[in-house]
Amino acid sequence: MSTSRDAILAKIRRHRPAGPALPDIHTVPFLTFDDKFAAFAGLIRNLGGEAIWLAEDQTVAEAVAQRWPQRGRVVDLTLLQHEEAFTPHDWHDVDVAIVPGELAVAENAAVWVSHPDNTFRSLYFLTDKLVMVVPKERLVDTMRDAYGQIAIREHGFGAFISGSSRTADIEQSLVMGAHGAMAALVIFC
Amino acid sequence: MKADNLYHPDAARAFLADGARASWHDQAIWFVRQKRDTQARQLPEWEELRKLAEQIKAHTLSRLDEYLLQFEENARHNGVTVHFAADAAEHNRIVHQLLAARQVKKLVKSKSMLTEECGLNPYLEARGIEVIDTDLGERIVQLRHEAPSHIVMPAIHLKKEQISELFHEELGTEAGNNDPTYLTHAARANLRQHFLTADAGLTGVNFAVAETGGVVVCTNEGNADLGTALPRLHIASMGIEKIIPKLEHLGVFTRLLARSAIGSPVTTYTSHFHRARPGGEMHIVIVDNGRSDILGNPDFYASLRCIRCGACMNTCPVYRRSSGHSYSYVIPGPIGSTLGPSRDIKKHGSMAFACTTCGSCSNVCPVRINLHEQLILQRKRVFDAGALKPAKKMGLLAMRFLTRHPALLDGAGKAMRKVVPILPEVIKDSTAWSRPGRELPEMPEHSFKELYRRSQENKQ
Repeated sequence: MSTSRDAILAKIRRHRPAGPALPDIHTVPFLTFDDKFAAFAGLIRNLGGEAIWLAEDQTVAEAVAQRWPQRGRVVDLTLLQHEEAFTPHDWHDVDVAIVPGELAVAENAAVWVSHPDNTFRSLYFLTDKLVMVVPKERLVDTMRDAYGQIAIREHGFGAFISGSSRTADIEQSLVMGAHGAMAALVIFC
Repeated sequence: MKADNLYHPDAARAFLADGARASWHDQAIWFVRQKRDTQARQLPEWEELRKLAEQIKAHTLSRLDEYLLQFEENARHNGVTVHFAADAAEHNRIVHQLLAARQVKKLVKSKSMLTEECGLNPYLEARGIEVIDTDLGERIVQLRHEAPSHIVMPAIHLKKEQISELFHEELGTEAGNNDPTYLTHAARANLRQHFLTADAGLTGVNFAVAETGGVVVCTNEGNADLGTALPRLHIASMGIEKIIPKLEHLGVFTRLLARSAIGSPVTTYTSHFHRARPGGEMHIVIVDNGRSDILGNPDFYASLRCIRCGACMNTCPVYRRSSGHSYSYVIPGPIGSTLGPSRDIKKHGSMAFACTTCGSCSNVCPVRINLHEQLILQRKRVFDAGALKPAKKMGLLAMRFLTRHPALLDGAGKAMRKVVPILPEVIKDSTAWSRPGRELPEMPEHSFKELYRRSQENKQ
């Protein structure tokens, strides 16, 4: 054990102030939505994304083709048989990535993405267009509900992704496509 | 990166010399404050959320050693290596050793105010490692060889024309093309190559969860994600105060952070890192660097609740009109003006006076830090430490003398009210109070005391 570690912990022990008990975060009522999909879809429009219900007679691939008739390399992790990468850099030229989203949050248009079959998470961020496919019954009101339902998986990575990559670092002008995906599509099915 | 002798009043005066520019800065930042208000009003539970966040952080600080141990144990269990650094020098040494042992030539970094505080970039560059800041705003200030002027919007002090010129020189963009979309996408293409060729990625940490041993990083750009998904080595640097006890507590903090910071419901990416990517390794460096001293100070330990959203600077009338580069400490605005003096009262004392004590910062703070009260207490420390400039000290001593001698104060007030109105403009313009665009207030006929006495008499 490093000596800095023990010295830091000892000093904290000496200095630590009195504090309150840990509050129960579930006693306070949080915002709820009558129509969670409408809230989600309304928000994501301003965040460089789009949300749709998958029609009964339509497949995810068809919805994607409709949205982007001209497209380059497509990787679809929602299929049982899907492409694999040997290094995280192998995904560098992906145009459309279709990935499973576990749940979606109405208050901020975020989708929890933590797919155990995806060896290299670089796919989510290197792709030009990110499609997240979410079961429609898994739409929750707030982040508190979301954290109640997710688990940190063995593979050790998960992210809430809300719309597309963006920045306003130049004069506060909002620009879509900073480093990650330039466009996002959430398909509820 | 900031000058060693930066004195807020002088630097602010220089900033305000360009009136149009200063007014633009003020309005650009006020716009963010208004966006924050719009978001806060949409949540009926906003004030309850702030209280929950305050209590969770206050509780954690009261048992910080225990939660740090729990975090360390769980992170190790996940296969992550945890290091402790007592100060900036040790932090830099640990990071450099990790990089050197793996022959890292290029490091991509996402935003981290801690590494600014530690001076990591110059330390690594002096040892032959190429450091690329990847947040767009940070990349801009890195290319300009200056410090960030805001903790969330590092390049908010710059106009797009300046950035266009910089990118023309550094990235070969078209001369005179000032379109933010064009400039952003040019930087994207350039930085994408750096991400793909980097040997290591370093991130800051927004939250470290004791219960799970993982860290959470929030960005809009996705730079922390690319910087850690591609290279083999991920180093996360965090201050000891970033700990929260449980995963579910993120259900409070992620609701507050982006709404307070930029007026968005959430950041694009809220990423939870618990293990390295396959074939990679992950290290977490936990840094004290003076924080445990602040923890022991009953007047100032609440400043360690800070989640670095920047809402206090967006609302601050002094920050908006003086810009982050006028503050000597690496973190500007109200939160920096208590953290800086806590660290070095002589060097950063002037920051505590860059405050009108209006209290707006304390009212927007998502973890309810009593910022303006802390700044008043820091002023007392500046005085006690003998760190005031002679003129300011004389002024305060004269004021103290006057306020302790009411008859003299009354007399001096009366004299001022009579004399100032008949002074020639030339003299009035050269008082300590006078600045371009600001003049001495009109002298009232009666003092407050006189008015009060008269109203009491009228009542009777």
